Amino acid sequence: MKFAIALFSAAHAPSSRRALLFAQAALAGGHEIVRLFFYQDGVYSASNTIVAPQDEQDIARQWREFVSAHQLDAVVCIAAALRRGVLDSEEAARYQRSAVNLEAPWELSGLGQLHDATQAADRLICFGGP
Amino acid sequence: MSTLHVVSHSPFTDSRLDSCLRVCGSDDAILLCGDGAYGLRHPALLTKGVKVFVLAEDSLARNLPLPDWADCVDYPGFVQLSIDYDKVNTWL
Repeated sequence: MKFAIALFSAAHAPSSRRALLFAQAALAGGHEIVRLFFYQDGVYSASNTIVAPQDEQDIARQWREFVSAHQLDAVVCIAAALRRGVLDSEEAARYQRSAVNLEAPWELSGLGQLHDATQAADRLICFGGP
Repeated sequence: MSTLHVVSHSPFTDSRLDSCLRVCGSDDAILLCGDGAYGLRHPALLTKGVKVFVLAEDSLARNLPLPDWADCVDYPGFVQLSIDYDKVNTWL
């Protein structure tokens, strides 16, 4: 079974952890994740400047390690990211911003990638809210 | 076409669960997770007679006893539910 997973919430929201555990369970069950799409506040999960409190789980780091370990296609919505200050080096240069906080394995791209993923997948599963 | 409705908001703080129940078909099911697990204590679910699942860790974390009209699932169970039903609609 092919899954597309869209995440709408920041890494500190419980729903982000649920999305991660769902994605891990899907791969463990022998299924395929055609794409992870990080939309709205979900783009914060891709920021490499997040510092999690020491007594809390670092879900942003766990996302990064999970995406890297399985070489997943992890797309961050570019419009949602720009308005939240999540920039890769190309966008930081384009808009003359001093900080770059998005790098591999993440990739900035458009909403069309979510549409494309839903066409390729058997199921689209969205996570967001609390 | 069957739909799995995923609800993560408490029914005691907003009306998502009520809205969900209004559109819930006879082949549909509801998966409660996060604060949505408090739906186990909400009379609306009991009277509607729709199939109800709850994410085990969320009912455990909130010490909510499992009523006989609901089943609990772990994450592999969540994945399986998303396959068993034709669509998954998350009430964001």
